[in-house]
Amino acid sequence: MRLWPRALSVRLAVMFALVSTLLLGLIGFSLYQSLQREIAWRDDQALLGRLERMQALLDDSQSIEALRSRPQLYENMLGNRDSLLWIIDDAGQRLIEINPTLMPLPVLPAAERATLGDSQSSELLRLAWLDVTRGDRRLTLIAGKLLSEREQMLAAYRLKLWLALSVGAFLAFGFGWLVSLRGLQPVRQLAMRAAAIDVQHLHLRLDEFKDVSELQALSKALNLMLARLEDGFAQLSRFSEDLAHEMRTPLSNLMGHAQQTLARPRSVDEYQNLLVSNLEEYDRLARMIDSMLFLARTEQADASINRQLVDLHELVEQLCEYFDGTAQECAIELINKGSGTLVADPQLVRRALANLLANALRYGIPDSAVTISSSLCDGVVEISVHNFGEPIAAEHLPRLFERFYRCDPSRNQPDDSGGLGLAIVRSIMHAHGGQVRVTSAQAGTSFSLLFPLDSA
Amino acid sequence: MRILVVEDEVKTADYLSKGLGESGYRVDVALNGLDGQHLVQEHEFDLIILDVMLPGLDGWQLLQIIRRKLQTPVLFLTARDAVEDRVKGLELGADDYLVKPFSYAELLARVRTLLRRGPPREVEQFQVADLHLDLLRRKVTRNGERVTLTNKEFSLLHLLLSREGEVLSRTLIASHVWQMNFDSDTNVVDVAIRRLRAKVDDPYQLKLIHTVRGMGYMLEAQS
Repeated sequence: MRLWPRALSVRLAVMFALVSTLLLGLIGFSLYQSLQREIAWRDDQALLGRLERMQALLDDSQSIEALRSRPQLYENMLGNRDSLLWIIDDAGQRLIEINPTLMPLPVLPAAERATLGDSQSSELLRLAWLDVTRGDRRLTLIAGKLLSEREQMLAAYRLKLWLALSVGAFLAFGFGWLVSLRGLQPVRQLAMRAAAIDVQHLHLRLDEFKDVSELQALSKALNLMLARLEDGFAQLSRFSEDLAHEMRTPLSNLMGHAQQTLARPRSVDEYQNLLVSNLEEYDRLARMIDSMLFLARTEQADASINRQLVDLHELVEQLCEYFDGTAQECAIELINKGSGTLVADPQLVRRALANLLANALRYGIPDSAVTISSSLCDGVVEISVHNFGEPIAAEHLPRLFERFYRCDPSRNQPDDSGGLGLAIVRSIMHAHGGQVRVTSAQAGTSFSLLFPLDSA
Repeated sequence: MRILVVEDEVKTADYLSKGLGESGYRVDVALNGLDGQHLVQEHEFDLIILDVMLPGLDGWQLLQIIRRKLQTPVLFLTARDAVEDRVKGLELGADDYLVKPFSYAELLARVRTLLRRGPPREVEQFQVADLHLDLLRRKVTRNGERVTLTNKEFSLLHLLLSREGEVLSRTLIASHVWQMNFDSDTNVVDVAIRRLRAKVDDPYQLKLIHTVRGMGYMLEAQS
């Protein structure tokens, strides 16, 4: 069972109630304490005053006996049932006794001065007493007050306090609940608004609650998140569309070619041609799927890469050897200016550079050079592949690394990378926490891989 | 040599059994795991080609059952090439794997390697027709004349010679000669073969390096 309620408004109301109970309790307790002290002090003063007056009466009368014969002198001064008065001589004889409740005579120590104390008897009794000498007689004056009435009054007061406290807590809960309900109204609005946003309505945004600063921050953050989601979603759907498109071309080639061939009997050669051409298309499809899977895996946040110390000159040399034949056929010279080391996944770096080199050879002009160079600057290792050739138009540059992006939509060379080569380069760089950059001008086109050193 | 193919995809099973039959193997086909298990228990095979996704008893389970008693080499086929899958297969005792879609030449090469059994022979001298390659001296002669090759051309010729008569796919060549273990869409292998041919084949009457259309390249003395 959950003790803590789920609803925020109820939680707030409970907290309101707890806080007000605590505050009311503290105030009530201190008020009660001071009241109790005040009453006790007054009672004590009254008792002391009574002793003084008795003393004065004794002083005015000739003898104690004369005083006893005129009890009205002091009886009216007492006048109620909870006041007690004794005058006792040293033999223990009660010379004057006013004791309506018939309390036993308390045993008290001697006191030269007026002394206050509580009696030990069963009922609560406050006493003030004083020893005086009248002629040769030692008298003890005792004034007392039964505390039962005071106790009853305080008890009633305590009860009222408890009642006030409970009613206060209850009201605090109720009001707190109402206030929280009202205060949380914008949250419900936010929730309603958010509930209306689904895949079809990703363009919707939450209202910004300008007058509620907490909610303003929240709705701003949520809106930013929505913008990112919308972006990612748009990219994803564009991507699936592109993918379907890209698969259509080879599939339609396959279907058309096969149907056309089957339409009438052919020579064995023609059948063989069909199969070979089909295989080329299958290869394209298979490579595309491989590349897609590679991209999907590399872009996963938890994609693990196998970092090792890579000798750049050696790595570039391997690639130059690999592309040596192709380069010679295009009359392009491969220049390895790579140096130093890098901590990265050698397989992935090789793949990224291979894609860049294949492009450089594809678009480089004959009788020129393709240069692979590396440099270290500001904690970033930069590997660049430069080729001479037609500059890429500026409007294409930012989109060059998108999947299936082609500068010239009609171009679809047989050895084209299917529009995924540069996307793969970018995702490899992201996996390394780095980035890829391209510059293109009359002086040629240059792709740079930037590896931050500290990510290693 | 007898091969068992356990594969539920009828078309795949069909072309595998046809192709392997044409290469001179005796092929049995099981279209599900239980039939496969039954055949394995009844007969003796030299190699089992096993699809992972099978109805009833899946490839992993069948592999475990096989490994309880037999050490027959197992080549498994999978459409999922997540690293964990490959590792799982190899841990369960498979000898090799191929990810779909695979090239038939690749499959045939793997089958041959698995059936060769024992450690590969360390051949140092290769002779096909009048082509001779000496691995230790790194020397190639054709018709008694010295042929000068670059390092990579030498490695390529060595690979072709050591797999004489086998079709080698471009992917396999790229990964063996240049350690490029990803499918590259460049024509690097074709260019390299062309250049090798220019030195080894073109000046001579008898051509040894053959293009197998749609599959790859092969070195063989065809009459």
